[in-house]
Amino acid sequence: MDPTLPFDTAAGWLQETLVLPLLYRLGLMQWEDIGYGWALFAVYGAAQVALMYAICLPLERFRPVERWPDSKAVSVDILYTLISRIGLLPLFTFVLFYQLQVWLNGWLTDNGYVPPTLERLFPALLGQQALTFFLYVIILDFADYWRHRLSHRFGWWYGLHALHHAQRQMTFWSDDRNHLLDDIIGFVWFTAVALLIGIPPLQFPLLVLLLRLLESLSHANTRLRFGWLGERLLISPRFHRAHHGILAAGQTSCNYGALLPWWDMIFRTADFSRDYVPTGDPEAPEVLATGSYAAQQWAGLRAMLRAMVGRVAAG
Amino acid sequence: MPQRLRGLFLGALLSLACIAGAQARGVVLVVNSASASLSVVDMATRREVRRIPVLREPHHVMLTPDRRDLLVGDTVGNELLDLDPGTYALRRRIPVADPYQLGFSPDGKLLVINGLARAQVDILDAASMKLVKRFPLKTMPSHMAFSPDGARVFISLQGTNRLAAIDLHEMKTIYEVTIGRVPAGVMWLNGKILVALMGDNGVAVIDPASGHVDRIVPTGEGAHQLFLSPDKRILYVNNRVVSTTVALNAADLTTLRVYPVPGGPDDIDFAPDGKLWITQRFAHGLAVLDPATGSVDSIQVGRSPHGLIINPNAEASAP
Ligand SMILES: [Zn+2]
Ligand SMILES: [Zn+2]
Repeated sequence: MDPTLPFDTAAGWLQETLVLPLLYRLGLMQWEDIGYGWALFAVYGAAQVALMYAICLPLERFRPVERWPDSKAVSVDILYTLISRIGLLPLFTFVLFYQLQVWLNGWLTDNGYVPPTLERLFPALLGQQALTFFLYVIILDFADYWRHRLSHRFGWWYGLHALHHAQRQMTFWSDDRNHLLDDIIGFVWFTAVALLIGIPPLQFPLLVLLLRLLESLSHANTRLRFGWLGERLLISPRFHRAHHGILAAGQTSCNYGALLPWWDMIFRTADFSRDYVPTGDPEAPEVLATGSYAAQQWAGLRAMLRAMVGRVAAG
Repeated sequence: MPQRLRGLFLGALLSLACIAGAQARGVVLVVNSASASLSVVDMATRREVRRIPVLREPHHVMLTPDRRDLLVGDTVGNELLDLDPGTYALRRRIPVADPYQLGFSPDGKLLVINGLARAQVDILDAASMKLVKRFPLKTMPSHMAFSPDGARVFISLQGTNRLAAIDLHEMKTIYEVTIGRVPAGVMWLNGKILVALMGDNGVAVIDPASGHVDRIVPTGEGAHQLFLSPDKRILYVNNRVVSTTVALNAADLTTLRVYPVPGGPDDIDFAPDGKLWITQRFAHGLAVLDPATGSVDSIQVGRSPHGLIINPNAEASAP
């Protein structure tokens, strides 16, 4: 049996019983394909959340790094996760990415350039779905390393990214804890790379599921190392925790990678020595750590603007 | 249904079944739009026997008029794949922006390509595959039908509720008229243009000369695509929202029977044994509908199956 069948069946059910009748009543039937894209995203997003919950929760229970008297600050991270994996964000990014890809690639085709894709560059890849996917992952992870590193380098950008670092009660829910603007920049970044190499949007949902699980796991409050070799192949909770350490907050940090530690090793930003450090950003305003969703968004925006104005004033 | 009609309907079905015998032989090629692949399904065993990867997002498949080439349009991949109809081996990859819907003019000389996402209709010289003219049409050109003399092509514009008519001799737009909510499938039948209205619950009957809507034949919510049976007596309409296939008398468009087909039925092809093979967009399946009994079997294929073709390597049947 096709392993994607249960997910696809759920998405189909969602489309038939909820999305289509709703679009029909609203007079928006021309968007039925986009609606189906959202149903698929929402189902796979829900599966991501369920899977990471099933795997990370026991780890955090039985092998925690830290124990907190209460974990109030965690609940806002749950909200971040639901918004970014199931809610409107996937719809927005899907529609936007799709439109951009269609527009740009169609324009290129019209002008006699064949839009680039890895499979066109290396025709042997067509049909080698898993291999092709991993090549795409490696390229995107490399791009993401630089996006993340630059988001620490520039003060205005770090004003937004500090939101991700401010969490002192870091758990597997913290992966999606980002400023909306930071998410949008990340999306534009991803899109630019995707258009250069021709990312297949919906071709590998199960592999994406596993990768997102690994990213969530890397934030988990758990004593988990992958061993000397394992930690040099994939990013472990121990490795990413060092990036969230109070000493690594701000403009010079270490361990920027998301999935693969290779880029940190190549560009000499890897630090494998830090063991289970406390997390947080001592210089960030308290509201970024413990404020509500709206308060955090507002504070992040102000931090960004302050950094921009500060630079102008100082320059 | 009046008694006489019912007799005619059953008679047509029975004669089809007798000609064809018990079991259809051969294969169905299905285009899986959201898993970037083609499925080859054995009709006798009703199993997927092969899956062929394509680049990004293929939607429709069509034979060239000489039946020598099988064309698959990959919209996000921006290419038209030219396959061997017998082996599905790739012969050529033709760069084309957003090839969503394909249609050859009745004389086979022109290939019309609707670019749904890019709001354009390209008219190609079929022999050379060179662009003759592009019509930017707002928005979402989705389906098409030719007048039998090949002088005109009619195109539904899903995003703006309109029907466009293009004169293929003069290469110019004759009209663009509002016809109803979210027009999809288009067909020329008995001197009229029929357009399935996906945002409504039926099929608009339109005067081809003026674009005027004479009436709307109710079929079900989300009317999407129209197909004429090989004997030209029955018109089948797929309704996307209520998930039904409706059989209409092709002569007067009265309803003969309503078949529930789950999973958002989309395209249909007719098997030699009289059964209808229907892609189920949201059930990742290929439904086999027996119009005599109304029974539906479903075969699993890839995600969001859209276009399909039965026995693409068969000789052309007598007209
Ligand atoms: Zn960081
Ligand atoms: Zn992090």
